[in-house]
Amino acid sequence: MKTQKKWDNLATDTAERMAQASRFIGNGKRVEPKDIVGLLEAVIRPGDRVNIEGNNQKQADFLAESLLKVDKSKVHDLHMVQSAVPLASHLDLFEAGIAKKLDFAFGGPQAGRVAKFIKEGKLELGAIHTYLELFGRYFLDLTPKVSLICAYEADREGNLYTGFNTEDTPVIVEATKFRQGIVIAQVNKIVDKLPRIDIPAGWVDAVVESPRPFFIEPLFTRDPALITENQILLAMLSLKGIYAEYNVSSMNHGIGFLTSAIELMLPTYGEELGLRGKCCTHMILNPHPTMIPAIEEGWVDTIHCFGGELGMEKYVAARPDVFFIGPDGTLRSNRAFAQTAGHYAIDMFIGGTLQIDPWGNSSTATANRVAGFGGAPNMGCDAKGRRHSTPAWLKCGAELPCMEDQIGKMPRGKRLVVQGVETFGEGREPTFVEELDAWALAKNAGIELPPVMIYGDDVTHIVTEEGIAYLSRCKDMDTRMAAIQAVAGYTEIGLKAKPETTRRLRDAKIVQTPEDLGVDRNRATRDLLAAKNMRELVSWSGGLYEPPARFRNW
Amino acid sequence: MSKWSTLLSRSFLESNARERALGLVDDGTFTELVGPFDRRTSPHLETLGEAVEFDDGIVTGIGKIGKTPVFVISQEGRFIGGAVGEVGGAKMVGTIKAAIDFADRIAKDYPNATDEEKPIVAISFETGGVRLHEANAGLLAHAEVMDQLQKARHKVPVIALIGSKVGCFGGMGFVAAATDVIVMSEFGRLGLTGPEVIEQEMGKDEFDSADRALVYRTTGGRHKYVMGDCNFLVEDTIAAFRAQLAELAKLPREKFEELRRIGSEVLVAKQLKGVALAAEMQPKDSRDVWVHAGNPDPVSLALAPVADFRAQAKRLAL
Repeated sequence: MKTQKKWDNLATDTAERMAQASRFIGNGKRVEPKDIVGLLEAVIRPGDRVNIEGNNQKQADFLAESLLKVDKSKVHDLHMVQSAVPLASHLDLFEAGIAKKLDFAFGGPQAGRVAKFIKEGKLELGAIHTYLELFGRYFLDLTPKVSLICAYEADREGNLYTGFNTEDTPVIVEATKFRQGIVIAQVNKIVDKLPRIDIPAGWVDAVVESPRPFFIEPLFTRDPALITENQILLAMLSLKGIYAEYNVSSMNHGIGFLTSAIELMLPTYGEELGLRGKCCTHMILNPHPTMIPAIEEGWVDTIHCFGGELGMEKYVAARPDVFFIGPDGTLRSNRAFAQTAGHYAIDMFIGGTLQIDPWGNSSTATANRVAGFGGAPNMGCDAKGRRHSTPAWLKCGAELPCMEDQIGKMPRGKRLVVQGVETFGEGREPTFVEELDAWALAKNAGIELPPVMIYGDDVTHIVTEEGIAYLSRCKDMDTRMAAIQAVAGYTEIGLKAKPETTRRLRDAKIVQTPEDLGVDRNRATRDLLAAKNMRELVSWSGGLYEPPARFRNW
Repeated sequence: MSKWSTLLSRSFLESNARERALGLVDDGTFTELVGPFDRRTSPHLETLGEAVEFDDGIVTGIGKIGKTPVFVISQEGRFIGGAVGEVGGAKMVGTIKAAIDFADRIAKDYPNATDEEKPIVAISFETGGVRLHEANAGLLAHAEVMDQLQKARHKVPVIALIGSKVGCFGGMGFVAAATDVIVMSEFGRLGLTGPEVIEQEMGKDEFDSADRALVYRTTGGRHKYVMGDCNFLVEDTIAAFRAQLAELAKLPREKFEELRRIGSEVLVAKQLKGVALAAEMQPKDSRDVWVHAGNPDPVSLALAPVADFRAQAKRLAL
């Protein structure tokens, strides 16, 4: 005898919640800011998985603060699943007992509190992910029941425009709504007509016009005035010893002054090396202002963006041949797609790090901060599922002496993963260390694994002011460690280097000094920068780039 | 080190202290005094186990512009933010003193010397004031420099040049104010309490030091020019600062009194009018003062090229 099984429990549950919330929701799904706390109390149940859209850049800050005001007897022990927790309110939720468990990707400014709360038992850590990994789990075992998202504008029906800073919104909404969850959006403005519809009204349950525009940070702007001569030397080495050596056409540039220096030296030193048209033609990148001169000089074919960057809106919109611009004429960034391209499609990832251990593992973790991973590990690794080939990928793979031990005579390529660091970093702390602080963090915060941003077997090149270690050319761990020592300068690790070994490595082109590469250290001056300050970037952009106040010295 | 001819077109802001010193005077005329080879390093930093610099972060020396002997002091912001300690302070004092002694000698031995042939002092400021590591010694150095400025008055014109990255703040802000002439670029910044310290003491609502546009709007060269806190606003090149210096070098010495912003009863009265105006206006932003001074469109004025700005800007009349 077959009993009638119910197959729509999720939808029924949502309908019950929405019925309780209906008194707060007016025409066009509109909720008044004063009713938002009541709405949240009506739709959220204890223990729910909740997502507060916390991107790298734009933040659903009004909704986060409103969630903090709910009656704790009604809403508590929530399981937060979200990309980033950069706002104080994200962690205040745990302090107040409204939230209990966290699965996330990136800590940002709250990294110290995340570590502290884990230790004090205020926060139960699910796991620290990369963006793609977490997005994957949104569609597997971490689907949000309620998502509190963020958009620029809504129209009278509840359609949303996420525009330039679309970032994570599509992936959150799709996961939530297609598992019958509830989507609540804060918008800066409700308008009659949207430039375009990024999220259809049918996938949105409530819209609130936030009393103030959402918080957004220009995280990817680097002021050229702050680039040092050491960073310029590293950029010269990278361009000559890696970009030119492998003809790297597609890549992601991590955030930092080294990559900014490289971007600003494409029209000068890169031009001199004849790399235009060969290197940096296809990039996965936020709209870095320091890319403006290279774009203007015709270096770049395509840039797809994870997120936007404050001040770059007009410039990007005016370069639709380069960026992904909608029919309305504005950019749509999309973190999930950009990360997918960053994982599978690019030939190289280049970025900095805080610490590198003797085996080449690197981490940005410090002993008391759970900073998370963000997107770097997906780009800073060899994508094992990659099947298309490009010259740079093939060349790097062909160099690997250890490949034959694993797959015999079968040819295969390898992603270039470049770590560019000064041997002593900020505060004159050594970059090369015996043990990563990640170990101390794992112990302090009770995390199973030391959080490693990029594992040693994925790193193919380390660039320092001493030269380049071509780890892709090392046949075994001893050679790899010697190559790392050879470029580690006067750090404890570097002092272990044996001159005769280093000499052999240089002859074998496993280590190359600036002199070996024909890079003149005396030329490493700021004169190589196509723009030396923010104002020159504005000039390059023909006045289209509008730097945020904090970057303007006028 | 670049050749002298290439130095001239360089950005003053981008250059280091030695490049500025060399470029300000005629080609090949600069002799550095107590230079890095003399290794006069700070004893205090050594005691604290901190890194020292062989010039203690200040370049001092003498050169010529045309017929004018120029005693040059040039601070280096890349060493402890250009903060002034005992050795650097002594180098400043020694240089001004040498200029005064030289002026006395010329007056005695060459009574018919023209103004153009008499020495001047040029100080390129790049500092936040006292080097905290050296506490009292650093403060004392400031007092001694002030003392020399008083002695130099009416005798050797002291010209402040402000166009560096760090700007001129703290105790050295007072020192700059006490010079005869101030020449700035739009990137130069001048003030007493630095932006970070104001924020720390008064809060972010009072002054957000991360808001660079606000910082430059309040302490930068253009605003100082409108306020009359600096005398001349020049382009950001070594050549432009040098040209202004050369023009000043020819000026009759008594004219320098007219260029001072402080230091007489008349000027005190004028400053007090400024205080009264601030109390009455309660300006929320430097741009309010620009409007009051007769600049109806301060935003476009701030964006105009320096030459146009100089031609158009109305300066605050007190």
